[in-house]
Amino acid sequence: MSNSAMLLAQAGAEVAKVSTGEAISFWILAPLALGGALGMIFARNAVHSAMFLVLTMLSLGVMYMVQQAPFLGFVQIIVYTGAIMMLFLFVLMLVGRDSSDSVVEVLRGQRVWAAILGIGLAGLLVTGVAEALTSVRPVGLAEQNAGGANVANIGRSVFTDYLFPFELTSALLITAALGAMVLGYTDKSKRRTQRETADARFRGEHDRPSPLPGPGVYATANSVAVPALLPDGSIAPESVSAIIEATASRELATDIETVAGAIPGPDAHALKPAAAKEGDK
Amino acid sequence: MHGYFGAYGLVALLLVVGAVFVTVALTANRLLRPARPTPQKLLTYECGVDPVGGGWAQSYVRYYVFTFLYVVFAVDAVFLFPWATVFAAPGFGVATLVEMFVFLGFLAVGILYAWRKGVLSWA
Amino acid sequence: MLALQPPPQAPIDAPQIEYSAILPVLILLGAACIGVLVEAFVSKASRWAAQVTLSLLAILGAGLAFVLYVTDSPERGLTTLYRTIAVDRPALFLWGTLLALGLGALLLIADRTVERGGAFVAQAGIRPGTVQDRAQMASGGMQTEVFPLTLFALSGMMIFCAANDLLTMFIALEVLSLPLYLMCGLARRRRLISQESAVKYFLLGAFASAFFLYGLALLYGYAGSVKLADIANAAAGSAASDTLLFGGFGLLVVGLMFKASVGPFHAWTPDVYQGSPTPITAFMAACTKVAAFGGILRVLTVGFESTSWEWRGVLWVVAVASMVIGAVLGLTQTDIKRMLAYSSIAHAGFLLVGALALRPEGLSGTLFYLLTYGFTTLAAFGAVSLVRDSNGEATHLSQWAGLAKRSPVLAWVFAFLLLAMAGIPLTSGFIGKFVVFSAGIQDGMAPLVVIALVASAVAAFFYLRVIVLMFFSDPAPDGPTVTVPGTFTTAAITLGVLVTLVLGLVPAFALDWAGTGTFAF
Repeated sequence: MSNSAMLLAQAGAEVAKVSTGEAISFWILAPLALGGALGMIFARNAVHSAMFLVLTMLSLGVMYMVQQAPFLGFVQIIVYTGAIMMLFLFVLMLVGRDSSDSVVEVLRGQRVWAAILGIGLAGLLVTGVAEALTSVRPVGLAEQNAGGANVANIGRSVFTDYLFPFELTSALLITAALGAMVLGYTDKSKRRTQRETADARFRGEHDRPSPLPGPGVYATANSVAVPALLPDGSIAPESVSAIIEATASRELATDIETVAGAIPGPDAHALKPAAAKEGDK
Repeated sequence: MHGYFGAYGLVALLLVVGAVFVTVALTANRLLRPARPTPQKLLTYECGVDPVGGGWAQSYVRYYVFTFLYVVFAVDAVFLFPWATVFAAPGFGVATLVEMFVFLGFLAVGILYAWRKGVLSWA
Repeated sequence: MLALQPPPQAPIDAPQIEYSAILPVLILLGAACIGVLVEAFVSKASRWAAQVTLSLLAILGAGLAFVLYVTDSPERGLTTLYRTIAVDRPALFLWGTLLALGLGALLLIADRTVERGGAFVAQAGIRPGTVQDRAQMASGGMQTEVFPLTLFALSGMMIFCAANDLLTMFIALEVLSLPLYLMCGLARRRRLISQESAVKYFLLGAFASAFFLYGLALLYGYAGSVKLADIANAAAGSAASDTLLFGGFGLLVVGLMFKASVGPFHAWTPDVYQGSPTPITAFMAACTKVAAFGGILRVLTVGFESTSWEWRGVLWVVAVASMVIGAVLGLTQTDIKRMLAYSSIAHAGFLLVGALALRPEGLSGTLFYLLTYGFTTLAAFGAVSLVRDSNGEATHLSQWAGLAKRSPVLAWVFAFLLLAMAGIPLTSGFIGKFVVFSAGIQDGMAPLVVIALVASAVAAFFYLRVIVLMFFSDPAPDGPTVTVPGTFTTAAITLGVLVTLVLGLVPAFALDWAGTGTFAF
């Protein structure tokens, strides 16, 4: 460790000399990161986009480690690819994977111009920074990292020079917590207890005193999409949730039909003698 | 294996070993097991209930709050870690202790708010 | 490698903090935290009263601490907290302005007489248009989290004005923005448009923050430090490539201009001003503008004065664009809140003229202009919230026809405020424009000032159009009524109108105060 640190320090004192290991890892990681970024933009599925972003972030995290910033690298992986990406995925799943963007262009030609200007800005920045960096002499972190003090030095900076921004971050986090709660959480304190709901049912505030029948009861399949059968063999449509009916019940339409009549099901009057039946008529 | 990159050699080795282990285990499994698929067997297993609809269900907004709290803790940990490694070192004294607990106190207010709103209890 | 052997280092002692200087900010932050605890532990019925009392006490307490400090503050200012905060005369002037404007905005936010239950939704988590939503429309509650959020935003603004390095400035920028994004979406009426405005503001704001951050990174690469003073030193005598300096400066300025809603970075302004609850619009229009221009003044003066020759031309163009966009598009608006939004874009252009002057007169002029504009716009949005029909606020211009016949007081007050925005003599707006433009001329920016004068003439036209509409048209039979406001809104509007009047008649004391010192770093 210390040997290489000194070597790197010397390398830094001269002009940038990239070690073979660093070069190899760069040429592996950079295409991965770039590919992930492009994939994120072009993936049709929003969740796949997020996964490509994970790839980019992971590559960047490893690159930070390669560039002698292990703490930053691990933070990148733990916080960004871990926590933040999870937040992203939750939001995506909240919106629903199937919801698609509106493709209506409010301003005509907006996309074309946005693409041209965006690529133009990116080109300008990349060429500018590339041009500027040829004249920069890298200092390297070897001195800062001597004796494995990378984290200790970060700790020192946080508690001295950047003490105030650090403390202010907590205000930011509280605000965000407040925001998540205000927007995502509704107060359920006025919710009725089970007892109160039961009483209300019998007072006639609901359509029926009993709960709705569960799906799949007496039916041929064990699925929430299969309606329950009533004792006389007819189906109970209200046993399937309206949301499921809208989607899956179409596929199960034949099943429902089968249950409803094509196959003679159990008949509640089957045990009665035929004569008695005719007598009723 | 020594030097700055050498230290990560172990990590890389572990990654390789992990990948090999998984590949070997799955391949061996595939080769050894009998495979007689039927449509029923190929169904997604969901607690013994026939699956309905796609696997991409829309999630409910209240879970977002949990994820968010996780992010808060993660960011918290980012600051706690350098603090914890240097806290006992000579030179880092009471001042850093107080400073850290000011930060944690602020965060605790947020958590307390979430707790009192009933977000943390399962309803 | 992972064995940690911390090197021998100097011990970390308790930081040297000038508590008396930053006490106003600390009071606000502390009160905001207590506000969150109030949200958690006080019963729902008494929450509103507790929050209003706490917030008012906090702002008044911060004001008291501020006044006590100002009376014997050092002439040259000081930096504290490891030089991350600079409490100097311009910062103190901005803090005073922000505290007073914050008090006014808080009064508007707390009002429950204009709209039953206040301008904020009872439970933001309920989807608009559902059965539960209709039920909560009838209830009188409100989301009282807005009070701690307002305090957080206000403290973020105060820190933003005083931030001596770019990192602190960035975090302050987020602390001030995040509550605003959130509060924009909490309107009681027209919830969808309110939520849309919140999303727009948030997305564009996050984008602008990214620009700011990228600029910060490039500047760090250039100077090896995020401190404004170090960047200035590096710019004065560094062999490093200027590409990093100007690339970083450009991106940084984009982020700052966005917050100040300077055109062409204004795209969010009309939509957000229109959709937000009007008290929040007032807060944003008055306080965010003050904070953002405070930050712009400090960055330009402290960090980049030595290179002004290179970048000033670009900001000229930005100032012209802002004035033209604000004045011309303002003419075409039919919604009073959107019109005021375009007016704020035009005003941002005028303010930029003063900020570009980079001389003591420019600094004091811009500070004074911010003071006058803040109070005028606060009162104007307060007045807008009073004109209502059964659907809430009647913001369409046609509904304002003949308002003078229904409520002469409101019409006169609003006309006075519009005249102040137009810069008619005897109002504060005139003095503000005068000092800013004369600073511009002293600095050799005569062409820019001429354009600014033309733009103010064009803008004056749409202010006058509203006045004509109010006084010389017949009211529609089913037109809106003017609500008689309660104490809070009356106090806020009166505060704004009085300051506008007083600064128009006797501006000398405020001008003197604005010109007492320069930035410390």
